[in-house]
Amino acid sequence: MVEKNGTESLDRLKREFTETEKVILSRRSVRLYKKEQVPEFMVKRILEAGRFAPSAGNFQPWKFIVLRDAEVIKGITESVVSSCRILSAMTDYRREGYSWLRPLIKLITRLRYNDLHPMPFTAIPLMGEGRLDLWHGAPTVIVLLKDIRGAGNPDLDCGIAGQNMVLAAHSMGLGTCWVGFAKPTLEYNPIWKKRLGISYPYKFANSLAIGWPRGNPDGMVTRQTHAVDWFENGTVKTIT
Amino acid sequence: MGNFGIFDRFRIPTYNDPEQMQFGIVEFDLEKCTGCAMCVAVCPADALITMDKKPRMRQANECAFCGDCAALCPAGAITMKSPYRFTRFYKTIDQGESSPPRL
Repeated sequence: MVEKNGTESLDRLKREFTETEKVILSRRSVRLYKKEQVPEFMVKRILEAGRFAPSAGNFQPWKFIVLRDAEVIKGITESVVSSCRILSAMTDYRREGYSWLRPLIKLITRLRYNDLHPMPFTAIPLMGEGRLDLWHGAPTVIVLLKDIRGAGNPDLDCGIAGQNMVLAAHSMGLGTCWVGFAKPTLEYNPIWKKRLGISYPYKFANSLAIGWPRGNPDGMVTRQTHAVDWFENGTVKTIT
Repeated sequence: MGNFGIFDRFRIPTYNDPEQMQFGIVEFDLEKCTGCAMCVAVCPADALITMDKKPRMRQANECAFCGDCAALCPAGAITMKSPYRFTRFYKTIDQGESSPPRL
């Protein structure tokens, strides 16, 4: 922590990032994992980081499920792959001879604009063809369930808790990746929902792949800047 | 940067039209590249392929500009050239030049 009113420490702050900032800025979504399992105590510590996340009204509208069973992870992956195969057969108008599907899909996109955003739209066929693995071979998966009765916006609270866990894991040298693609199975497939005990008031929010990274994926990369409007002293300026 | 017009709002882009959907572009320094193909393995969009033991971007790809390849490359041979730019309903707005973390 930087001491308040310390000129020397403020000078240092201008020259270099803090340790926490380095963890945040060098975090990449890891998609290559070693087979080696993550020690149990580390997963428990990661869960602790999630437990102490801020939430609306301190309602803590979440439940975490830890999957470390290779059979379960494989089973869910297979279920998601077959769902994606069906979904891509229904939606992918980019295939040859399917351009007639385009107006219909554009109409549905207008209603389900998050689900049919170009990124998931193009990832569904990749998943169905097995060109994209669900949890990228990670040995540990944390599924984040939201309590739908939560105050305000439970999805957001799960996101905050999840990012706490991601940063905690990264600070321990682990790799993580947010995976929302388990949704077809963990939200809609009654067999898997029953098997994992996902029932009212819990609903699938997101999931995290956790494991030891293969290679060194950490590093600061280039990213888009975003316009920020800045109101001060009666004027407004836009910075990027 | 730009603004989001009323016509943008009502037109859904065609995803396989490069005029309407420009995906991310990364560049390879083939002199530095050792041909380990880690970038090809890590790419979540399967946008990279190996040709003559060197990586290359596929003709039609859906690069999300995530930077995993650039961060992972042991030789530092990958530069992230330009991010994805969408038009119409998914128009990229209020974004400026790309940059690494700034102090």
